[in-house]
Amino acid sequence: MEPIIEVRDLTRVFISRRAKITAVDSVTFDINKGEIFGMIGPNGAGKSTIFAILSTLIKPTSGRVKVAGFDVEKEDESIRRIIGVVPQQYSLYSDLTARENLELMGNLYEVPRNVMEERIEYYLKLVHLESHADRFTGRFSGGMKQRLSVISAVIHDPEIIFWDEPTTGLDPQTRQAIWKLARKFNSEGKTLIFTTHYMDEADKLCDRVAIMNTGKLVALDTPENLKKGSNSASLEEVFIHLTGEEIRD
Amino acid sequence: MRRYEIKMAIKSELRKSWIIMIKEFKQIFRKKALLIPLFMFPIIMIIFFGYGMGGTVKNVDILIANDDTGTASSSIVQEIGTFIPTYGEVKMFSITYTKDISQSEAERKINAGLYKAILLIPHDYSERIAKNESVTLTLLTDSSDTTSSGIIISFMKQFFAANAGSLILLSIPDIYGKLSYLDFLTPAVIALTVFFGTVQSTGYAIAGERQDGTIVRILMTPISRGAVILGKTVHQLILQLIRAVILILVAIILLGVTMNGSWLLVAMVLIIFTFSAVGLGIAISAISEDMTSFQQLSMLFTLPSMFTTGVFYPLSSIPNWMQWIAYTMPLTYANDAMRTIMVKGQGLSFIANDLMILLGFAIFYFGLGVYLFRREL
Repeated sequence: MEPIIEVRDLTRVFISRRAKITAVDSVTFDINKGEIFGMIGPNGAGKSTIFAILSTLIKPTSGRVKVAGFDVEKEDESIRRIIGVVPQQYSLYSDLTARENLELMGNLYEVPRNVMEERIEYYLKLVHLESHADRFTGRFSGGMKQRLSVISAVIHDPEIIFWDEPTTGLDPQTRQAIWKLARKFNSEGKTLIFTTHYMDEADKLCDRVAIMNTGKLVALDTPENLKKGSNSASLEEVFIHLTGEEIRD
Repeated sequence: MRRYEIKMAIKSELRKSWIIMIKEFKQIFRKKALLIPLFMFPIIMIIFFGYGMGGTVKNVDILIANDDTGTASSSIVQEIGTFIPTYGEVKMFSITYTKDISQSEAERKINAGLYKAILLIPHDYSERIAKNESVTLTLLTDSSDTTSSGIIISFMKQFFAANAGSLILLSIPDIYGKLSYLDFLTPAVIALTVFFGTVQSTGYAIAGERQDGTIVRILMTPISRGAVILGKTVHQLILQLIRAVILILVAIILLGVTMNGSWLLVAMVLIIFTFSAVGLGIAISAISEDMTSFQQLSMLFTLPSMFTTGVFYPLSSIPNWMQWIAYTMPLTYANDAMRTIMVKGQGLSFIANDLMILLGFAIFYFGLGVYLFRREL
């Protein structure tokens, strides 16, 4: 398999007046092109920090990270052109309509006007929002916002999609719809990288899962192999086995 | 090839700044509840303060130009000095004496803001008094500062009525036309409104976008932080200029306020001044974690500006320590420049110092804003 993301000995330290926190501690892994890759871990495990580094929002303290062959520190703009990020917060402009939110993102990614118009119609239909295209998103339900947030992140047809907590707080119908959407994007050859707290989601959706704990990578394999390896019936058992029962802040 | 790439990159960044600016306009014009205070607040402020406030002055600079060739005027000149009222322990006027200046030269000194009033004693003063003929003294005042001017005129009238007898007449020409407190107030309220409006709306936009995560989403697209700031700044410049034009027109039409100077110079002052305010708004919002902390932090900067920079009363009427605070705030210089243009009708050379200082503030605050935005977001 050809790696599309290479993470080597990645460390990220946050220094404040009160403390020095190592959020990511010497982590090394690859993500292969075209796979659905899940990152799971308790709160404070370092998932969001890795996410922020891979999506060029923050820089590593040390180590080397390449996304599609581009260095995250030196070639961040090239990376931003080929990735789409679906944040956990829906991050939509509530006083713009659904269409205007999509146009804004399309314009910032410099998608040609005619292509963008076609894509907007196509994606709005895909997520069943075509009749809400000209409504302000401030009045949308959580599920509608999540669907719109997803298509805002793919309007420029990215190679890689980063998806933070895709189904947190959504009803079962919307969860199913989001999973279907993820599989569809994957079938088109896109690489998907998730973070999630739902073990069933990681189990059903992901080709491989990385389990993080206190900034370190403690396991990385297919869900099946992870279960086999620790003789567990579910991914949740594997997770508890590897990260402990202690409640994190 | 390299040159072509740079040109295309700049074009792309400018296009993205334009996209951000259009988004900002769409958002602001959809917040109808925000539009009302945006335009109504300064008008209400002008009306309430304009009709409701008075004030006193301290240490106001007055020049007495005594051209009298004889000695009769020396007693009256000395008496003016001893009759100056005090406010607490501070004298209301600080008097300087000179000789040989023409009325036009005296007007130039007032235009340049060197004195609030100049009393001209003619060369034939002693001669006419000796012949028992009436003599006219000319009192020129800076009526763009209506509070100081009103107090000086009232003092001089009372003084001459009580001490000089019927031979001495006082002529008080209106060098800027008939002016009221509203004329003094309006230019500064416009500057204040631009300052408040820009700091608040830039800051709220960034702090709000930070709180709901939209700014992060924008920054994950191939747009530079510079282009985001440029888009937001141009939006503010256009918005504040439109707002200032509307306010000046409303003040002229509804309140009869005077506009003696150039609209172009007003725009120039406001554009440079807005850069400071945008920079300050960005800087405060970049170090604020959310909207509430932005609100509290921004108050620290905006409220002192409101009361110390001579918006409602002349700078000379506030204590010295407060005046020193005023000199560290861009609004002080914007107020002065706006009054010099709108009330005194003066040109570029008279506001050059204010403009240079405002430019310095703009570079400092804008630089600080960009630096903190890049570091914190």
